[in-house]
Amino acid sequence: MKRLFAAVVLVLTCSTLLAQNKVTGRVTSSEDGSPIPFASVVVKGTMNGVATDDNGAYTLTNVAPGAVLEFSSVGFLTQEVLYDGKPVVHVILRPDTESLEEAMVVAYGTVKKGSYSGSAAVVKQESIKDAPVVSFEQVLAGKAPGVQVASYSGQPGADTDISIRGFGSFNAGNQPLYVIDGVPATSGDRAWGNLSIGSMNFLNPGDIESITILKDAAAASLYGSRASNGVILITTKKGRAGKITTNFKASAGFSYFAYDNYPLCTDEETERMHRMAWTNYANDNPSSWQSYGSVDAYVNAKVAANYPARDESKYIYKDWEDVLFRTGIAQNYELSLTGGGERGKVYASVGWTDQQGVVVIDYLKRFSTTINAEAKVTNWLTVGATSQYSWQYQNGQQDGWASKDNPFFIWKVVLNDRWPYAYKDTGDLYLDTWSPSFSTVNPVPTYDKQINDAWQNRVLLKGWAELKFTDYLKLKTTISEDWLYIHDRFGWLYGHPNFYAYSDTGGYMADHHFNIRRLVSSSTLNFDKTWGDHHVAAMAGWEAEEENYEESVVNKIDFSYMGATQSVLATNFDDGYTYTSRNSLLSALGSLSYDFGARYYLTATFRRDGSSKLAPETRWGNFWSVSGSWRFSNEPFLKGSGWLTDGKIRASYGTSGTLPSSNYGYMSVYNYTNYGNTGASYPANLANSDLSWEKNKNWNVGVDLRLFDMANVTVEYFNKLTTDLLLDATVPSTTGFSSTLMNIGSMVNRGWEIAVNFDILRNNNGWNLSVGANWSHVHNEVLALSEEGESIVDTPYVWQEGYSFYQFRTRKYLGVCPEDNYMGNSRLKAGNPMYAEGSYYEQGEIADQTVVLKDGTVIQEGSPVPENTWNFYPTNRNNSSNMILEGMTAIPKGFGGFNVNVGWKGLTLDMAWSYKYGHYIWDEGVEQMESDGYYDFHRNIAKDQLNAWTPENTNTDVPRRIRDNGQGGYYYSSRFLKRGDFLRLKNLTLSYNLPRNFSNKLSMSNARIYVAAANLLTFSGLNIDPEIKSNGYYYYTMPAMRTVTFGLDLTF
Amino acid sequence: MNDMKHYIRHIAIAAVLLLGLTACEGFLDTVPTSSVVDKNAMVTLADAGVACNGLYTPLKYYTLYGTYIPYMGDLRADNIYPRMSDGTGAVIYTWQYESTQSSYFGTFWENYYNVIMRCNTFIENIDACDASSSGEIALKNDYTGQAYAVRALCYFDLARLYGQTYTFDNGASLGAVILTETVGPKEARLPRSTVAQTYEQVLSDLATAKGLLSSEPNLGHFNYWAARLLEARVYLYMGRFAEALTAATEVINNSPYRMVSGDGYAAYWGHEGDMESVLELLVSVLGDIDSDGGFYTMYHNLWFDDPNSGASLIPTLKWRNLFKDTPNDVRGQMIQYDDPETGAKKSGEYWLRKFIGNKDQGYTFRRNNPRVMRITEAYLIAAEAALATGDTGSASRYLNAVRKRADATAEDVTATMELIQIERQKEFIGEGHRFFDVMRTGGEITCDMNDPHEFRSGSAYVHTLKPGDAKAVLPISSDERVSYPELQQNPGYKD
Repeated sequence: MKRLFAAVVLVLTCSTLLAQNKVTGRVTSSEDGSPIPFASVVVKGTMNGVATDDNGAYTLTNVAPGAVLEFSSVGFLTQEVLYDGKPVVHVILRPDTESLEEAMVVAYGTVKKGSYSGSAAVVKQESIKDAPVVSFEQVLAGKAPGVQVASYSGQPGADTDISIRGFGSFNAGNQPLYVIDGVPATSGDRAWGNLSIGSMNFLNPGDIESITILKDAAAASLYGSRASNGVILITTKKGRAGKITTNFKASAGFSYFAYDNYPLCTDEETERMHRMAWTNYANDNPSSWQSYGSVDAYVNAKVAANYPARDESKYIYKDWEDVLFRTGIAQNYELSLTGGGERGKVYASVGWTDQQGVVVIDYLKRFSTTINAEAKVTNWLTVGATSQYSWQYQNGQQDGWASKDNPFFIWKVVLNDRWPYAYKDTGDLYLDTWSPSFSTVNPVPTYDKQINDAWQNRVLLKGWAELKFTDYLKLKTTISEDWLYIHDRFGWLYGHPNFYAYSDTGGYMADHHFNIRRLVSSSTLNFDKTWGDHHVAAMAGWEAEEENYEESVVNKIDFSYMGATQSVLATNFDDGYTYTSRNSLLSALGSLSYDFGARYYLTATFRRDGSSKLAPETRWGNFWSVSGSWRFSNEPFLKGSGWLTDGKIRASYGTSGTLPSSNYGYMSVYNYTNYGNTGASYPANLANSDLSWEKNKNWNVGVDLRLFDMANVTVEYFNKLTTDLLLDATVPSTTGFSSTLMNIGSMVNRGWEIAVNFDILRNNNGWNLSVGANWSHVHNEVLALSEEGESIVDTPYVWQEGYSFYQFRTRKYLGVCPEDNYMGNSRLKAGNPMYAEGSYYEQGEIADQTVVLKDGTVIQEGSPVPENTWNFYPTNRNNSSNMILEGMTAIPKGFGGFNVNVGWKGLTLDMAWSYKYGHYIWDEGVEQMESDGYYDFHRNIAKDQLNAWTPENTNTDVPRRIRDNGQGGYYYSSRFLKRGDFLRLKNLTLSYNLPRNFSNKLSMSNARIYVAAANLLTFSGLNIDPEIKSNGYYYYTMPAMRTVTFGLDLTF
Repeated sequence: MNDMKHYIRHIAIAAVLLLGLTACEGFLDTVPTSSVVDKNAMVTLADAGVACNGLYTPLKYYTLYGTYIPYMGDLRADNIYPRMSDGTGAVIYTWQYESTQSSYFGTFWENYYNVIMRCNTFIENIDACDASSSGEIALKNDYTGQAYAVRALCYFDLARLYGQTYTFDNGASLGAVILTETVGPKEARLPRSTVAQTYEQVLSDLATAKGLLSSEPNLGHFNYWAARLLEARVYLYMGRFAEALTAATEVINNSPYRMVSGDGYAAYWGHEGDMESVLELLVSVLGDIDSDGGFYTMYHNLWFDDPNSGASLIPTLKWRNLFKDTPNDVRGQMIQYDDPETGAKKSGEYWLRKFIGNKDQGYTFRRNNPRVMRITEAYLIAAEAALATGDTGSASRYLNAVRKRADATAEDVTATMELIQIERQKEFIGEGHRFFDVMRTGGEITCDMNDPHEFRSGSAYVHTLKPGDAKAVLPISSDERVSYPELQQNPGYKD
């Protein structure tokens, strides 16, 4: 290892005056000694390179003694060899497991992993490439400690929710900054209509070489005022010198719901539940059934009206699940080539993805292409370009709320077994409204008349040039444009039952077009030099960025033609606008690193940002970090110890920020509207000229160990303090506004991350086995909200000092009342739901009513309350208050993943599990589906209602079912909160490399077949798919899909 | 030497690249294109006219006069009941509102203070708009007067929504928070004044407004007469009958407004700017169709052509029975029976078909100009005030004028308090008066459970409501009180 390092050091001296020789040799695998064909052999720092032949042999000319030869091949660690003038160099490559010498991409450059003192996680191409997903984000779950990922919607193309090390922001968003090949890129859900459109979908996961997730200040603060939520660096594949190799990859498979969502009562059970509710109602209200003669007659009549029996003689019935949903087919094709010679390298690819959703109208199609090239113009100038273009079309449906156009909602809530599908005699669809309380009709004829679709076009172009002054001083300048164009639509065509909602006659169509253009220019001067044991690296540069946003909407109404889909065919103009906005950022940045003897490392970074989003007086800010590490395993006293292969302690401290999302938030402005047919203006906001970025102070300590050359262990502790949080702070309505953007309060995220990885078997009789696990814990706490210390309510959440960002606040559900007048409360009847009274008492306050402490202690009226407490005295809904539900938050106690990789000869099995526990989910579906009889008419009933309280079944949490339930479960309470714990087999890949001699016969260097599955297994106590947005709020979002695909991967 | 040149060239290129864009002046200065920075928004008198229009836009919205103010007067009383046994309509009808249901009841508070802020901003900035000619000065005064009058309307509504009726306790209960200038979040946290103090502010604003406003009809805007009629209404609510009578008779005798004929009564509701209207608000052809002048929710079931749709408000049997013996009364004819025999989607309900849409602008029933005040109200205020001051003759005269307009065959009657209130109930259905009329006259509201409508409301059902009851006033939203604890909650409500 030391020799290698010395070699690296040596090459940095120029050696062009020395003699040029020819080198030959063989490249083999350390696993089984087999030759490695198509391995790349390059003279480092030049374009001089070749690829090995089928036998792993190569011949390279014009190599000067003292040059460094770089041997690389996919799946193997890159090895560097100092050329000492001998004509033959054989090399044995080690398979690519964890390595401390490998280069990792970090902010504004690359470093060797072993020398890095920041906190960053690297996800490599191998673990992304086969997963049957649209966006790489979906694969990150469980892969990196500290990174929470939720693919919360099963619609193809929906955005993914990612948060790094907790939640550092109130209103400025918790999305990390995405940087693609060094350029900050537009990210997030950029939809306007009903669809969720992940803007990272544009990138074909197959084109990604690696992803680095920057977590602490040392890693991220070079991105300054946008780095608080962490940074995701994406590096795309680049050309490799050597013979041109071509890769073709194809996969196809199937998708369906990954989980049994909202189990429902069977038809017979549903009728029984209806009957129960009406019977209880009749018994409680004797006047109700008098005109019917008896309770039975009344109940029969009511059930017949509200859950009418099937009439097979008249109607055709169908299973609505079959009508609305299907097994979706997923297909993916990729063709790429890479190669190059002495003066140029290129990587190019095209990809085609076609993924159907489970809803019969949901699908996504994507075409993507990448061309990355570089050329060495002279020995002091290298230029290059990277480019991605992609086109994507998504067709979907309304998602995430109780809407007629949300098939998941209507399937679960209203469409039941007794709803006729069609008339038997004519075969015509039954189109009458079924439920009197919800005007849904058979959705089949109107599915294609609901328009929710989106085109996404993205071009990302970057050009760069690198000037080499000397071997240790280089200047790199980059200019890039990221252009995202989305056209999304929302509407109801002529014939859709909802069209009256927007037009009295014939349909509605809203066309939305928008462009986000982001232009970034940066230049950095890089210095890197070694003197003996001393190594110094420094960087200084500047960056300018401009984001332009253009948007236009046209709403038209009244189609007069049944098949019209384009708004140009609609008769009348309804509404529309155009909008432009711009923001810019100007920055200076620099870093300085020093290390000594491969043992002591010190790094400092600095960035100064000026943003147009803030007032001129407050717009400039400085961000910095310092970090250091001690690689104690390289100390003489530990060197060569058998057990410690590598060991390092590192620590960092630094600052970063988050800018407001609004471009003009600091200005006071008037908006314009109309009154009658004339214009009207009004003050639109409560301006805050002191607006600033959120300030993040971040420290991190970590230990990295590699033991017995087989086990990697990383333990980290971090503390992120965010102050001056940007908040659309609720202001008293008497200001005339409901909120204003302010820097208010502070919040902390601190926690532990542990990752372990064992290479249990390495080429042991052909077996390889490695297992890894990671666990993260984030403690999130709002430290202060304002000087006055008030809290902010955003039902069902509250922000209050001492509680987490996603703390729930609602009525506390205490279960079912066991007896009339329970605990002396005359308002309670047996079988009714009970709620905590909920008032708050300060310690010593005299109780003005019966107060019950959390442990059950009863304090009588007139006595002092012994501690600060909420009142848990059970009462009915009307007399209960909302209270903060201690310990109930959407933030998990822990999350992470497990990875298992088993290989035997050419066969590999990869498993990636992800888990999350200790958090609560707000299930808004309770309102409709567990209403204890209130919302029953014509509806489905959730399975848990079978356990409703009856005089015989008293040990239950489900109250007595009664029609017209004034106390029922549809009122917000902690009954909506459910433990969200889950364990999910996120990805599984089983692949087989066909024997080399077999594939070589087919002129292929490699041939592989594989099966890849997403969301294959899920373990959870929830009755809905547990992968839910990190805010824990669920409201009929299309649940996740299980996808299984079969693939073929051929390299020529 | 050659190397030296080499370096110089490199350094020159580097310097150019490094300096590059940094020299761009104003790179970080951006201004919005979709809105106007405040200092440029109210400069000329024309700007002031546009900003003056902006005082009215929230008022016409469904959250205020478009739908919810009528709800507060009619649905909350015994004029109208909701078709659905759940949802907002049922909550209002059965007085089950709670401080935690911020979605509708909290918005009155927010929306009125939004308008008050607009008025205060306007009053603070109007001075800067130059006016030199006498015409310009009159226009400027008129705009200013409108801001005062709109503010008065807001405070009046806040007092009657959130405070007990003035006559119950002489305005001792809590009313609005009085703010007459723009405030930041800190200064805005004042406690509530009493209803009496709020009414004082209303009268003071109206006095200022009257001195500035033009007397010319001004469609969609306050003029002198609208301010004066509002003043009459305020006096009536306060039980200051002599002043109410003076104000109302001044409007009747001197203003250009005239009652529409009985024959034209039905069509009047589709006309814009008829001289019956003393103040009507203007809906727009552009804008959110569901939100603007949303009287459709009180109209019959044309929406979706579906009995289960959002259209949900039905005149009570009690209201319909008011016309049992007067089949010729045009107001009793404003219902439409939706006969289930005539079609599968007919509901068997009686729908109110008063608000037929602004036909002058070609709109359907879904866009109506909300009527804030009509000249008919001046007659009925005059009748009530005259009766209260002992002038039964005048009272009868004003009352009979309204009766005969609606029904040419009606016999003259001698005014009594009961007859005047019945007349108001008949006349103003859907305009948001009934609840406040019952409260201020010390009556009691009873929900008529005998209406042919299977309506149930759960165990917390309350059958009668009278002044002083907790549910006679709206709760302050508990969400608002979390960040603004100085804002006193009304008695009887929990947070």
